[in-house]
Amino acid sequence: MNKALGIVNFSGNHIWVEGLQPYRPIGAFSFLGRYRVIDFPISNMSNSGIDQIQVYIRRKPRSLAEHLGTGRHYNINSKRGRLHILFAETGVEHDIYNNDIAAFRENLECIRSATCPYVVIAPSYMIYAQDFNELLQTHIDSGADITLLYHSTDDAKEHFLNCNTVNLNKQKGVLSLEMNRGTAKNRQIFMDTYVMSRELFLDLIHKAHKTSSMYTLADIVSASCEELDVRGVSHRGYFASITDFKSYYDANISLIDFKTALSLFEDEWPIYTRTNDSCPTQYFEGSNVKNSIVSDGCLIEGTIENSIIGRGCTIKKGAVVKNCVILPDVTIDTDVHVENVVADKHAKITHVKEVVADPDDPGYIRRDDVI
Amino acid sequence: MKQNSMLAMILAGGRGSRLHELTNKVAKPAVSYGGKYKIIDFPISNCANSGIDVVGVLTQYESIQLNSYVAAGRRWGLDARDSGVFVLPPREKADVNLNVYRGTADAISQNIDFIDSYSPEYLLILSGDHIYKMNYAKMLAYHKEQNADATIAVIEVPMKEASRFGIMNTDESGRIVEFQEKPAEPKSNLASMGIYIFDWKQLRKMLVADMKSNESSHDFGKDIIPAMLADGKKLCAYKFKGYWKDVGTIDSLWEANMDLLDRNNELDLNDSTWKIYTEDAVALPQYIGPDAEIDKAFITQGCIIEGSVRNSVLFTDVKIGAGAKIIDSVLMPGAEVAEGAVVQRALVADGVKIGKEAKVGSADSEHIELVSKRVKGVE
Repeated sequence: MNKALGIVNFSGNHIWVEGLQPYRPIGAFSFLGRYRVIDFPISNMSNSGIDQIQVYIRRKPRSLAEHLGTGRHYNINSKRGRLHILFAETGVEHDIYNNDIAAFRENLECIRSATCPYVVIAPSYMIYAQDFNELLQTHIDSGADITLLYHSTDDAKEHFLNCNTVNLNKQKGVLSLEMNRGTAKNRQIFMDTYVMSRELFLDLIHKAHKTSSMYTLADIVSASCEELDVRGVSHRGYFASITDFKSYYDANISLIDFKTALSLFEDEWPIYTRTNDSCPTQYFEGSNVKNSIVSDGCLIEGTIENSIIGRGCTIKKGAVVKNCVILPDVTIDTDVHVENVVADKHAKITHVKEVVADPDDPGYIRRDDVI
Repeated sequence: MKQNSMLAMILAGGRGSRLHELTNKVAKPAVSYGGKYKIIDFPISNCANSGIDVVGVLTQYESIQLNSYVAAGRRWGLDARDSGVFVLPPREKADVNLNVYRGTADAISQNIDFIDSYSPEYLLILSGDHIYKMNYAKMLAYHKEQNADATIAVIEVPMKEASRFGIMNTDESGRIVEFQEKPAEPKSNLASMGIYIFDWKQLRKMLVADMKSNESSHDFGKDIIPAMLADGKKLCAYKFKGYWKDVGTIDSLWEANMDLLDRNNELDLNDSTWKIYTEDAVALPQYIGPDAEIDKAFITQGCIIEGSVRNSVLFTDVKIGAGAKIIDSVLMPGAEVAEGAVVQRALVADGVKIGKEAKVGSADSEHIELVSKRVKGVE
């Protein structure tokens, strides 16, 4: 399918993940130990036969650019396909004008020169599996101007609080996009995923900019619902939105349950990532590991329960790691007890013998920290 | 990147028939090892890490899998300009008929044109079926320092095992004075590792002569090295210290995997300065279930473990069902053990399924049991 140009969009100014996001964009967050969040949208595109992919980066490009590289690991045709990394020129962190429309405008030539008649836009901060080819076909068959992907949940009171919801009529026509303010349990969460013609996309970029420099793609789509035929398509399967610290923690922990994981990972739908050439993980005598996801390159001698362990971690003798998300290259030293904590890359917990946070309010250990 | 002065040729044509069903469909260098590797990843990664840019891989026996595997030079970073991994099976040429490689030396002789096209100063000859980490640049430095005509890497083996190897007898300076293939009464314990550095121009002359000889078996150990010694050439032994294993049998392949469980194992695959590169498998991280028990194990991505694993090595995508017990065993990629089954002192081949409550292997067997066919369980 080279009918569609794939666009991987960044998170807007209303989203901020405490702890991790100061270091990198959400797309570059480590996920389930061996992945980065952005592996999911790009693999979805690659598996759908989209091989012209543009990844937009708003700020802190290093780790993401490093991870994406040439994009070869995403199984994109190395001659006819392309993974194009595009930057929002200002790069200013809290600049309210540094939004997706500004980034698209900055790189307008790249969107104009694409030959695909359609665009599929997906966020770099949400985790789901979706056949975009199927979605595009639905879009074409329906004759709609814009098709939006949404996920129905009965958990919108406490979760998905930084997400938009789609306000639908009975025929699945979208009336508007509204911020989820946690006022009702049942909501259709907008997955920030759009299908439309490239021509309309270019029109909307232009229109948004003319309306207000603060207007985002979601804003202009919501404002256009009356004059355009905008429809919703319901997504089935696993869905997580990494839009605050708790949702990052919860998304990781939720996939420890293998049945849940099977609703995201399917044999015919591989999720690609960049190899690190780490060797297998070594479990020493006396290690005790239960209900956990462990990546390669670890040395494990302690106890791990209900946790995610990233690549190249060391869990020493007598250490206890419970309900934790441990990012790559972290060391949990002898007899240290950590519970309900996210430990960022290269952290070393050695002097403090106990780091136990409230399960409803998980703790965070900074990158490179030695505590 | 400028082309290195030394080109490497890896002999990967052997079947390794003592590995039985494991090498029915693939050559020995393509056999899996250490959770996620193939044996040939070791010499190729060593080349890449030693700064050798051009690697020829001589294949012959059941070479389809090996050919496509090594041809992806990108895996080892050997894909820059003037760099690459080249698959060299026997081929038909304008002036000669298609001939199988008659021996290790003949395999090189038949590819003189390939080697000449890079005009290397030195030629490094390697075996595709040994497990070790070695910096060939250091060996080349030694070769130059000694001003040798050929340098052969040797490793000290226990004296009682020396008669299983090609033994090099040296003088005090390290110069080889005698070579004995599997001597009944060895005079030294310096075993040849099958790693040679030659001056290409000299070797080329000898190979051309050897090709014409009817008496020769066209083998480095049997013909070329003895001929060089008889000629009074300077052959030096380069002593290697570290882990080195020739996995010729099921027992030794099992043992080499088990060595990885040792905390201080010399191979140290975790060393980030000398990584062994391999195929990048698309697999989930390891899933360790709520009732799993893991005690001393080497496990890699794609594994799903719901039972208990003790003192074992599990390769990519191995599945262990609830209540199953894996003890002192090696499970190759994609092996599946169903609920309640027991696997003990066994080597389970790629993709083999072991049914519910089946039992394979035993605690006190003399040899390791090779399980290469599906084992039925309770229906």
